[in-house]
Amino acid sequence: MPSFAHLFETFVSSAPLFLKGALLTFELSLASVLIGLAIGLFFAFLSLSKIRALNAISNFYITLVRGTPLIVQIFVLYFGLTDVVQISGFLAATLALAFHNGAYLSEIFRGAIQSIDRGQYEAAKSLGMTSYQTYARIILPQAFLRALPALGNQFIIALKDSSLAAFISMDELFNMATTQGANNFDQMTYLIIVAVYYLVMVMALSHLVNLVEVKLKRSGAT
Amino acid sequence: MAHFLEAKGITKNFGELQVLKGIDLSVNKGEVICLIGASGSGKSTFLRCLNFLEIATSGSIEVDGQAIDPKTSDLNQYRANLGMVFQHFNLFPHMSVLENIIEAPIRVKKVKKSQAIETAMVLLKKVDLEDKAHEHPARLSGGQKQRVAIARALAMRPSLMLFDEPTSALDPETVESVLKTMRVLASEGMTMIVVTHEIGFARAVADRVCFIHEGRIWEQGSASELLDNPKEERTKEFLKAVMV
Repeated sequence: MPSFAHLFETFVSSAPLFLKGALLTFELSLASVLIGLAIGLFFAFLSLSKIRALNAISNFYITLVRGTPLIVQIFVLYFGLTDVVQISGFLAATLALAFHNGAYLSEIFRGAIQSIDRGQYEAAKSLGMTSYQTYARIILPQAFLRALPALGNQFIIALKDSSLAAFISMDELFNMATTQGANNFDQMTYLIIVAVYYLVMVMALSHLVNLVEVKLKRSGAT
Repeated sequence: MAHFLEAKGITKNFGELQVLKGIDLSVNKGEVICLIGASGSGKSTFLRCLNFLEIATSGSIEVDGQAIDPKTSDLNQYRANLGMVFQHFNLFPHMSVLENIIEAPIRVKKVKKSQAIETAMVLLKKVDLEDKAHEHPARLSGGQKQRVAIARALAMRPSLMLFDEPTSALDPETVESVLKTMRVLASEGMTMIVVTHEIGFARAVADRVCFIHEGRIWEQGSASELLDNPKEERTKEFLKAVMV
């Protein structure tokens, strides 16, 4: 084990590099979660559709994502995509992570939408609202509030999963740690440091989710 | 005189089970009709068929002489003209009382927001809840929630109000406030169809009372005829059971 003094010293001296890595990790996670939310909502509606073929499509997607390791998905998408079109590693990694998160997010959305009482649809209908208005104004806002804890959890998973982008040579946090560790023949120090970075980011994120939840509860909206 | 609403031969099957076995009902403008009957008799299902929350298996519904066909008519536009009040209120919990009331006028009728708010405040005053405009429904009692639900339906300026057991889910002490609101509405000439277990309300307000039994209108008449001098054995049994 490296000494505490050594750890601290390395932590400070490596901070400029690691902060850059942390920024990339943050960007990668945020972009993939945002795209993943759109994908997730889309497939949630396919799952909830009365049309069997659409259910089957979404079922296939979710099974595929859940049934294969993320690292395989990242490699397949990265080499698959860069083979066909010229795209950056960042875009490939973002899309791969979004594709992965989208499946889990779609299940979260589906569950939340299904948990909304039938009476809410009926009330909206009885007021003459269209299906689109009913979903946009009545069902989805409530479903989103209900899904918030699970969404927060999925965001945390997405943040940590983004470390796998190191394997397609993205200079995000984890890649920084392994390269620095190898260059300096000091793996453990850099691994501990990178763990601290992830921990702090995850704690900040959970705190943020908690804040939003408390605020919503206080407003009486849930 | 032409009836305002005319339902003919309404039947409804849920799978093998036939819940409605052919109901005819004509409603005149300004009339208050109470539907009474045991639970499972089909009275709520019939009410829900009138605004197509349930699609009747057979039968026809005409409003102002216009046949409403669920396949070709604009049901949203049709429903916007009928107010519905539910047993469990079905207020939108993520919106304040005021937002609940102005939502449909703004989105469906394209009323200006300032005007929708103005109308909503008048309605809230009418149901005696103007001080609750900015509360969320979760902070209200059952009776208050139901009065908000009534205001929400009225905000669409409906020509007919449907009430589906509006007081059945309420604590006894808040029932009266809702019934009072409904009495005021009736006295103002609102056309109303009310599914209820409140025999006292039916006696005081209804122009006509229909006793529904096994998916049919078993007997109907004026409140005093049906409630005080029922002819059918089934009606007598039911009234005896609910009026103890």
